[in-house]
Amino acid sequence: MTPDPDEDGFDAGTLGETIATDPIIRGTDVVKEYETGGQIVRALKGVDFSIAPADFVAVVGPSGSGKSTLLNLLGLLDVATSGEVRLRGEDVSTFTDREQTRKRKETIGFVFQSFYLIPTLTALENVEMPRMLDRTPTKTRERATQLLERVGLGDRLDHYPDELSGGQKQRVAIARSLINDPDILLADEPTGNLDRDTGDQILELFDELRSDENVAVVTVTHDDYVAEAADRVVTLIDGRIRDTESRRANFEEGPDP
Amino acid sequence: MNPLRWLVGRFPTLALARRNLSRATLRSALAVAAVVIGVVAIGAIGTGGEAFKQDQLEAYEGFGGTATVEPDVQFEDGNLTNTELSDGDIGRLRQATPSATVLPVHEPVGATVQTQAGTLLFMARVKGLENPGEFYEARNGTISDNWRRTIVIGSRVAEQNDLQPGDRLRVNVTDEFDRSFEIAAVLEPQGFSAPLGADQTVFVPASEFESDGYEQAIVRVDTTTGSIDEATQAIEREFNAREQVVRVEQVQEQREQFEAFFGTVNQFLIGVGAISLLVAAVTIANTMLMAAIERESEIGVLRAYGYPKRAVVSLLVAESTILGAVGAAIGAPLALGIGMAINQLLLGDPLAFTAAGLRYVGIGIAFGIVTALIAGLYPAWKAANKRPVEALD
Ligand SMILES: Nc1ncnc2c1ncn2[C@@H]1O[C@H](COP(=O)(O)OP(=O)(O)OP(=O)(O)O)[C@@H](O)[C@H]1O
Ligand SMILES: [Mg+2]
Repeated sequence: MTPDPDEDGFDAGTLGETIATDPIIRGTDVVKEYETGGQIVRALKGVDFSIAPADFVAVVGPSGSGKSTLLNLLGLLDVATSGEVRLRGEDVSTFTDREQTRKRKETIGFVFQSFYLIPTLTALENVEMPRMLDRTPTKTRERATQLLERVGLGDRLDHYPDELSGGQKQRVAIARSLINDPDILLADEPTGNLDRDTGDQILELFDELRSDENVAVVTVTHDDYVAEAADRVVTLIDGRIRDTESRRANFEEGPDP
Repeated sequence: MNPLRWLVGRFPTLALARRNLSRATLRSALAVAAVVIGVVAIGAIGTGGEAFKQDQLEAYEGFGGTATVEPDVQFEDGNLTNTELSDGDIGRLRQATPSATVLPVHEPVGATVQTQAGTLLFMARVKGLENPGEFYEARNGTISDNWRRTIVIGSRVAEQNDLQPGDRLRVNVTDEFDRSFEIAAVLEPQGFSAPLGADQTVFVPASEFESDGYEQAIVRVDTTTGSIDEATQAIEREFNAREQVVRVEQVQEQREQFEAFFGTVNQFLIGVGAISLLVAAVTIANTMLMAAIERESEIGVLRAYGYPKRAVVSLLVAESTILGAVGAAIGAPLALGIGMAINQLLLGDPLAFTAAGLRYVGIGIAFGIVTALIAGLYPAWKAANKRPVEALD
């Protein structure tokens, strides 16, 4: 079926108004099907999206509506069944695994819902992990220390994950997602384990990243205050975008819609 | 930056691999133990086997230019025939090989040896010889050229029964004699397959025997002036022209046969050792598969963060290779230690390693590491090819 961009998309019109730069990643009529035991599950039924630098998009929707699927496509962890996903104008379906991997490293930072910290590495080493093979240990260490301080864990550098609280692990995971200086931060429930105060700190961090480094943030969330802080809220229902709500509340630089 | 940090920065894969192994210490230790067993098996069997071979070959030294002649015993109508060489046969031997020394050997069947106290020496064999000094050196005591009325014993007979020159043994040979002899000398150890089995033998002067039947004759040629091949051929012509009457075997040939036989046995044993490494490989593959499954999501994260497949393969292969290297590092000294013990036992010098023996330790080390590396490849490949989305579910 052909989706109606006005209804289902992140709304191309909005994009032009918000930021006058090219989108980092853009999808057109994206369909994602999973095949399990001969049965085909349509997780995304033709969605359009566009993420520009410094965007803050919250993705909400009921369980099973395709939020994680969308995040995986944005993160080049998976390829669409049909439709087109372009990363800075390049069709991602033409990438080899190696290219995909390199683009992930250059462009994308992930914060996974269950953190996936490596238990044998300290907080600092976990943050360094994505760059451990780069052979620039001094630079990496400086940057990692800086990031941990920024998420308020400057005094927990040498703690192992099992010596950290859930919220602290979450923050280590966020610091780790930033070590490669990504253009987009993809976060699955980044505040899910945090109390309101810490959650607000994370949101502040997101704002800083957007204004200082032009990092776009796409986050799946169930927390209303996170959705309120976002400048766009995308509601996914049953694989379709039902509603795109744009706000300027938290993003001074953009013009009002 | 401290040296450890530097190492981690330089070889991040190895550092990560080492830490990952430390997460499942017991499992890693078991995999290492499997490699240790394999390396020790190959190394110790190899060096030990070489020491044994060396020991045996030493026993053949001094037997160059020597052949043994035995009657070709036949079994006919329930009776053994042609069991002895007669005085006449010895005469014909001497005539056929004029330049050789012919030494008839009595090897009586019903012979017993007892200590003064009456203990029976089950293992000891009795042989009558004119002059054992022709072949053997005495370790204790002396073997006189004009040897009569005393006995000379092999090293094992002496050791097992705590006998020294001057002690006495009672030797009983059915239909010949039954009397007590003073021990004149104990021989140097000759080794397990020495031509006359000297270590387990009590040598009695041939003059003590009255019968003129000999079970064996030793033909000896001075190799500087004559050839044992010619002597062998001459004996064959003299005795075996129409039918096989005697069996002539050059000790040198026996040595070669021994070497060939030993080579086969040793290869078989090393094959057994190699099988234990195969088991180690299976253990390691299993360890790595478990590790890969356990850490699936973690590997998914590495991939999501931009680690190429190659990096994941390197990481897991590094882990399995470390297991192999540690196993080899523990196994090699153990194998050398066992080798030294065997050297001491057989050759009297713990450091009497041969190049061939040491090579087996090297082979053990190389095999241990390479097997571990190969065993890690499949799990690593499997883990690296898992799509990160699936791994992260
Ligand atoms: N690997 C997969 N194989 C088969 N079906 C899948 C797979 N992953 C997701 N799906 C299906 O696709 C649909 C969307 O799944 P998705 O994980 O994107 O939902 P979600 O919005 O993230 O839900 P939640 O809020 O519970 O995390 C679901 O119906 C799910 O069963
Ligand atoms: Mg989800």
